[in-house]
Amino acid sequence: MLDEHNLLIGLKQGNEEAFSLLFKAYYKDLVLFGGWYLPDRVACEDIVQSIFLKLWDERSALTITSSLKSYLLKSVRNACLDEIRHQNIIQEHEDYTAHSMIYREVDIDHYILYSDLQKYVEKVLKIMPEAYREAFLLSRNEGLKYREIAEKLQVSERTVEVRMSKALELLRKYLKEFLV
Amino acid sequence: MINTELHDTDEFINLWQITHPAFNPSDIDVEKAEATIRKKIRRRDYFIMKAFLYWQRLAAVLIIPLIVLSAYLYLTRDVAECQETGYQVIKSPYGIFSQVNLPDGSNVWLNGGTELKYPMKFTPGKRLVYLNGEAYFEVTSDTKNPFVVQTNQMELTATGTKFNIEAYADKAQTAVTMVSGKVDVAFGQSPSIPLSVGTRTCYNGQTGQQTLEQTNPYKWYAWKDGLMIFRDDSLGYVFNRLEQTFNVKIILKDPTLSNDLYRATFEDESLDEIIRLLEMTAPIKFVFQKRSKTIDGYYEKQKIDVYRI
Repeated sequence: MLDEHNLLIGLKQGNEEAFSLLFKAYYKDLVLFGGWYLPDRVACEDIVQSIFLKLWDERSALTITSSLKSYLLKSVRNACLDEIRHQNIIQEHEDYTAHSMIYREVDIDHYILYSDLQKYVEKVLKIMPEAYREAFLLSRNEGLKYREIAEKLQVSERTVEVRMSKALELLRKYLKEFLV
Repeated sequence: MINTELHDTDEFINLWQITHPAFNPSDIDVEKAEATIRKKIRRRDYFIMKAFLYWQRLAAVLIIPLIVLSAYLYLTRDVAECQETGYQVIKSPYGIFSQVNLPDGSNVWLNGGTELKYPMKFTPGKRLVYLNGEAYFEVTSDTKNPFVVQTNQMELTATGTKFNIEAYADKAQTAVTMVSGKVDVAFGQSPSIPLSVGTRTCYNGQTGQQTLEQTNPYKWYAWKDGLMIFRDDSLGYVFNRLEQTFNVKIILKDPTLSNDLYRATFEDESLDEIIRLLEMTAPIKFVFQKRSKTIDGYYEKQKIDVYRI
């Protein structure tokens, strides 16, 4: 685990090593988090880089009341939403969220990062019943909507819904153990 | 859509997000991104440094002439001008006596047509004043900080003492009369000599001649009390005194008059009264000239012709 407190102190003193460690630890996860709002990898990478640049510039005046993770997530979310507004691509965004998941606010303070869970997700998927895994992977890897999955698997849309729910339920149950 | 009852929680949204990334996580090149951001930081630091160096160079460009100018002003500074800043100048016009209290507590009486320059605050080691004209000094005793009077052709050094100095810059003669204490006087370029009480020394800047005589000192500084005391003094001297006291110009129509000796004491008498007394007691006659105006519209000094009868 990162000693975030010491890294922040190092950052405030202009320690490039600390900055590098923080960058390596959070960059990928933040870009992926930004993807939730703005499905454009290059745009998300630009946003996250400018957030880190700002973090470096304002390091001496930095006051983070919550955690650095929350601070960064909030920054990414706000920047992405700003970017969406600027590009006036709200329409596209809605199309995207419609096929993936309901668009709503996330609990940033308790957010679990991609890299925290990724390796466990694969493990849980392996021990999951085939039917659930199949539906889940089609949704995840190919970005198919429930209707499309139902067609592909020759089952009803309702069945897909149930299988997906079961898969997520199992993931949640097992991942909770890892997260404790 | 997913079963909302079960899944519409922060936890599930979080889980969904993680398991359904918008783009392939392996497409994200962290190292490349870090290199990019480091380059950005360095380039910006470089510009900041460049801006700093630019200002530094500009400052250097500005500071060199500034130093040269300062050095020039310092080296060529006008000494008198420098001193002017902290100095006080008291002028007593012809016909008027003035009394000055100096910062060290010394008292100075200025006769007509006299100018005294002194610092607002004496520097330690030397209480230096400049005199042009006639003045009577009562100097506060301070052996550590001698009191120095500088005139056109003399430097007088005293610690605590009373003396009278006649040193009008437009007159050849400079004289010092010792009343009490002890002073050292240096005329012109000569070394300083001590003066004792009751002596009067005169120096003629044109001839370089120096005389020393015993005298009744009060006669020489009685002017400060409004008295004019003449004891076998030449009429030339008497007329000088009158000129000084009453701001007039007395013209001797017969040069031999100036050597006639005269004896009198005047106290708070007007010029008219003194002239009347002189005409009564000496074979002379005064004639007031008509006062003429200068081009500026001011009246010139009253001129009085003196004839031998």
